[in-house]
Amino acid sequence: MASPIADLTYRNYDGPLEPPVNRWWAIAKMSMRLSTKKRGFWVWSTFSCFWYGILLIIFYVNDTLAAANPMGQQVSLLKGLVWKDQFLNAFSESQLFLFILALLTGAGSIANDNRAKALLVYLSKPCTKLDYVIGKWLGIFIPITLVTTVPAVVFYLYCLMSYRSYGFWSQDPWLFVQLMGMVLIPGTLYASITLAISSLFEQGRLAGAVFAGVYFISYFVTLLMELVHTQMTMGGNEVPPIVNNLFYASIDGLQIGMLKIILHTNGSPKFPIQLGQMSTRMQVPEPSTFLFIPLFLVICAGSVLLAWSQIRAVEVVR
Amino acid sequence: MRFLKPGETNRRNAKYSHQSVSVAIIQNLVVRYGNFTALSGLTCEIPEGCTGLLGPNGAGKTTLIKTILGFVKPTSGSATVLGFDIQTAGASIRQKVGLMPEQDCHIPGTTAVQFVAYAGELAGMPGDQAVRRAHEVLDYCGLGEARYRNVETYSTGMKQRIKLAQALVHGPKLLLLDEPTNGLDPAGRIEMLELVRSVSHGKGLSVLVSSHLLPDIERVCDRVIVVMQGQLRAQGTIRDLKKIEGRPVDVELRENSPRFVQAMMDKGAVVQPPKRSTYRIQMPGLPEEIAKIAMQAAKESGAQIRGYIVAERSLEDAFLEAISAK
Repeated sequence: MASPIADLTYRNYDGPLEPPVNRWWAIAKMSMRLSTKKRGFWVWSTFSCFWYGILLIIFYVNDTLAAANPMGQQVSLLKGLVWKDQFLNAFSESQLFLFILALLTGAGSIANDNRAKALLVYLSKPCTKLDYVIGKWLGIFIPITLVTTVPAVVFYLYCLMSYRSYGFWSQDPWLFVQLMGMVLIPGTLYASITLAISSLFEQGRLAGAVFAGVYFISYFVTLLMELVHTQMTMGGNEVPPIVNNLFYASIDGLQIGMLKIILHTNGSPKFPIQLGQMSTRMQVPEPSTFLFIPLFLVICAGSVLLAWSQIRAVEVVR
Repeated sequence: MRFLKPGETNRRNAKYSHQSVSVAIIQNLVVRYGNFTALSGLTCEIPEGCTGLLGPNGAGKTTLIKTILGFVKPTSGSATVLGFDIQTAGASIRQKVGLMPEQDCHIPGTTAVQFVAYAGELAGMPGDQAVRRAHEVLDYCGLGEARYRNVETYSTGMKQRIKLAQALVHGPKLLLLDEPTNGLDPAGRIEMLELVRSVSHGKGLSVLVSSHLLPDIERVCDRVIVVMQGQLRAQGTIRDLKKIEGRPVDVELRENSPRFVQAMMDKGAVVQPPKRSTYRIQMPGLPEEIAKIAMQAAKESGAQIRGYIVAERSLEDAFLEAISAK
């Protein structure tokens, strides 16, 4: 009787090999796989949608009550609502959660590789430094962008189907296109900054701590400027431009500024309740497009360049 | 076997390159780190099969490996690996070469299967093939049972094995092993050397083992390249390297016999003082002819011959001679 043949000795691989270019997608896939394996990623992603949920409940209840009232639509809160500002507000509320997601997905991306000397594995394969940086950047950018995109699109579609009569479509027909630009901002900024910080360290936790420090210290500046702006506006004083500019001098502020430019709005109060002229004036105005967009791009590109310059397969002792 | 003087190129040793096909040809390679010259006009050929790269610490072994892979740009000189120029085709070289680095390295947060399959994907394997091959290679490297464990929980021996697995996964034509037995206990060391030996013989895979552990090299390699201060000092088969000039023979007697020594000297032999009861004898002629003369001398002197071999030195002696050659 014939027995099975089992060759347990080494056999060389003779299957297909793709050309040795563009390995960044393999790196991005693995980075995303490792990020989405963390339970925290899904928990914080869910939390980041909470403001859309609150808005949906408010809109639904309001619309239902208005339908029961003969004069309903005329007195509804939804009437006169600036719809694009609701997306801005929802994003603004989700910023802390997006920061946590960036911390989870990005802080250790290069730092942990430095600790495990993984660069020797990457760069001994047909991967270039550019493949590595692009792959790692996409590994942070794609998850964060998806987390901002999915609830925004769902909310948009719900409003489009339910609230056209309240001017959802007529107010801003290009809103969807603007939204598609808006959702790219947090992923771009977080991917760039976390990658740069991560490349400077050999411990993911240390890189995370530094990133958190930069985030909260700069956030404090934004909060302070918001307070000054509010006080001066309420006092009927003219707010100096430096206050408005410094409001955007943080990781959160940079994103809010870019979103205001893309949506072309100064924003409106968070709760969809009209509080009169004063509440509108209390919003920090949209920054200068010509100064702010180049600044944003320089920060992102500079961060990626910093990360790229830090990557070495071997330590060269001079 | 002859040793090269510092700075001398390998042209005179070209006879070795004709004996087998070279997987790498290195010519006048100079690598500098600032003011420090790590490789100083190195010229050598790495033949097919298993080759040991020998040299003391700081000799330039690891720099040579890094240069072959394109991690370090040479200041001058040229080299081709598997027919690809190291200056222009680094990615193509790295696709056909596997590196097992000296340091522990892994992808954090991955299991062994994920890590090895990922290494395969990075080398250009399609995802499904990479996973299948990862299982195969892990089995081969003796990590089949631990394949779903996080690599960070592995012992030193297991980490060495997984480094070998990730280097092998894409079926390289040349495997570069940098100190493959570092940190292994004696049993682990023997197992690793057996693995290296089995992949490097009859499997169409050439291996370059960089080490300063001579017994390891002797166990797995057929040929060696000795480098010192960034220059080639010797290269050839281990058998050639161990040969002693004049081809003396060692004759082991049952007990020391001054009469045997005298009889041999009368026949024109030079006899060295005995080590225990073994005499090293040097005289013109083939070993078979010397054997006949020794038998005759033993008969005349009443000595009893217990053993007769062509004398050779240890690899350690040969290595020390190579690196001290002026």
